[in-house]
Amino acid sequence: MNRFVSLISTAALIFFKVIDLQAQSLTAAEVVKKADEKFNGEKSSLMEMSMTIVRPTWQRSVEFRNWSLGKEYALTLVTAPARDNGQAFLKRNTEMWNWNPTINRLIKLPPSMMSQGWMGSDYTNDDILKESSVVKDYTHEFAGEEMVDRRICYVIKMIAREDASVVWGSQVRWIDKMDFLVLRAELYDEDGSLVRTETGSDIKTMDGRIIQTKIELVPADEPGNKTILVIKDVKFNIPIQESFFSQQNMKSLR
Amino acid sequence: MKSYRMAWRNLWRNRRRTLITVASVFFAVLFALLMRSLQLGSYDHMFRNVIESYTGYIQVQNQDFWDDKIIDNVFDFTPELGNLIMEDPNANEIVPRLESFALASSGQVTKGVMVLGIDPEKEAFLSDVRSKLVRYRITEENVNGIKNSDIPDKIKKSLDIFIGNSYTSKTGLILDLGINKDDTATVLPIVEKFTRFANGFISKGIPEALIGNKLSIYLKAAIGDTLVLIGQGYHGTTAAGKYRISGIVKLPTPDIDNKVVYLPVDICQELYNAEGMLTSLAISIKDNHDKEIDRMISSLGLKIVPPMRVIGWREMNKLMINQMDADNKSGIVMIAILYMVIAFGIFGTVLMMTAERRREFGVLVAIGMQKTKLASVVVLEMIYVGMIGIAAGIAVSLPAIMYGFYHPIRLSRELAKMYEDYGLEPIMTFMPPDTYFFWQVVVISAIVIIAVIYPVRKIFKTETVISLKA
Repeated sequence: MNRFVSLISTAALIFFKVIDLQAQSLTAAEVVKKADEKFNGEKSSLMEMSMTIVRPTWQRSVEFRNWSLGKEYALTLVTAPARDNGQAFLKRNTEMWNWNPTINRLIKLPPSMMSQGWMGSDYTNDDILKESSVVKDYTHEFAGEEMVDRRICYVIKMIAREDASVVWGSQVRWIDKMDFLVLRAELYDEDGSLVRTETGSDIKTMDGRIIQTKIELVPADEPGNKTILVIKDVKFNIPIQESFFSQQNMKSLR
Repeated sequence: MKSYRMAWRNLWRNRRRTLITVASVFFAVLFALLMRSLQLGSYDHMFRNVIESYTGYIQVQNQDFWDDKIIDNVFDFTPELGNLIMEDPNANEIVPRLESFALASSGQVTKGVMVLGIDPEKEAFLSDVRSKLVRYRITEENVNGIKNSDIPDKIKKSLDIFIGNSYTSKTGLILDLGINKDDTATVLPIVEKFTRFANGFISKGIPEALIGNKLSIYLKAAIGDTLVLIGQGYHGTTAAGKYRISGIVKLPTPDIDNKVVYLPVDICQELYNAEGMLTSLAISIKDNHDKEIDRMISSLGLKIVPPMRVIGWREMNKLMINQMDADNKSGIVMIAILYMVIAFGIFGTVLMMTAERRREFGVLVAIGMQKTKLASVVVLEMIYVGMIGIAAGIAVSLPAIMYGFYHPIRLSRELAKMYEDYGLEPIMTFMPPDTYFFWQVVVISAIVIIAVIYPVRKIFKTETVISLKA
């Protein structure tokens, strides 16, 4: 019995040591990369999402589906409400288009529109199309550990690289040590003032991974405004070709 | 002899001198009146253009709409609200509108436009859109067509100048082309035949649009083309729609003409995802006197509760009122300068008269005429001169002003272009006689009275002996 207890405790010790070692050996950049890949998929992903825009006097929901392949290709199809059904957003490398079936028009989104709200939400076009990369476009460093929702998190400070075309000046991310979930993020502009806060919650297992399925986005300077993103379904590393992300396809997707 | 008779006879002893003095008063009155009439008339015209053809005197809006004209600042238009407004004895009709912005494109060109959702029938009570439909348009092809027919060379020449112009009525066409009365019967039908522009209108429930004349030129859009609108709808939705262009309108304000798109209000609500909502409710009224309007604004203000509010024409046109105020001040300065010049002119002739008649005054005093009597005769003379001058001035300017009121001066060619560049309608209107007439008369009379002080003083200071030797 005694032996058994000591065996267990030794095993536990080793186990935690390993985790600790593993963590110790990770750099801040690697943590961010791991969290990013976990949430977005290493190669590709398909997400079924709903977004609720909350304003002081009203709120509204939009549902959409998002395919992505690496950082280069993304396609978003709006599925609800009915009047917006069929609207699609396509990203190929650094170029972006919007297809609107009601007017049969394909509109190219200029880079200047990247920081504007997507579908009237607090999300920017950049957030949805993921033009910038949290891994490549920032320098990362640890800034301690904190508890968020009873989970121990790395606090990682990220400063945008000078040559990167990103919307933010810097970010602070709280990433769960166990499951590499981004539980909280604060995004700052170039002047260092807080622009918005994102919090991840409702941790569930989806397609075999533990991920946060609810993301709340609160802009700092507009009291009463927020946007809630709920992931309803997700598939990671789906077989998808680059040819899927074409203008022809965005017009015919249903 | 009575002084007034003496004064009258004195006037005609030296006719030339009198006429010169009368003339200086006459021109003073004439110029001052014409200038003032033109200025006030132009303000009035501008006001009418904007107020009666667009904002109306009173509107009901969402309380935040005026400061922040976004599509989210709308209100629900209920039948109760309509009844509440129509209960007012001065209310004639309510004109619903939904106003927002969008990007418009037809073919390759895109432009930011103002989208106005209107009730095509009710709008007739305010901005009568139907009357602004383009009826004639001079294009290169139809100019060639007209040139082959038998018309005077002068008109052929003016046709070249006005290529690209559109007209909402025959009058504009006749004025610009300089078709005179004798030619009207023969030439006008030919010109009309070639330049006639087939135009449709919009009606509720049909996805069609009317666009401004300048906008249509910019977009290279013709009747029957498809106009695509894209913008932001209510609560951040996407507003996108395709509409057939059914008509082209020419608005008097070029600044609006180059960006206006009219849609039927229900179609516009659909576009912006704002079913049953309006941004403003303009009220057509029966009596447009300031007092009645103010009464209506305050009485409706009590009945209409947030999130709606009542807004009057003064608040809606603050900028224009300020501009006019500033312009009016500069006009007053101009008139003051004119008066200075006139005052010195009148004073000069009086001075000359006094010097010329020094000996005469001396003789009169020497033979026993009292200085007070002499002075009163001279004052009466000046009053006669003033009255004749003012009367003549009014007599000449009145018909001119009335003519100008009924036949506003339409500027053409370069001057018209300049006006349009400033966003003004190239037209100069006169203001019919009003209180400003009275004030011109008062000011000129005051100048005459001041001028007469000099000879009066001179008379009282007359040293008979010295004057006789003069």
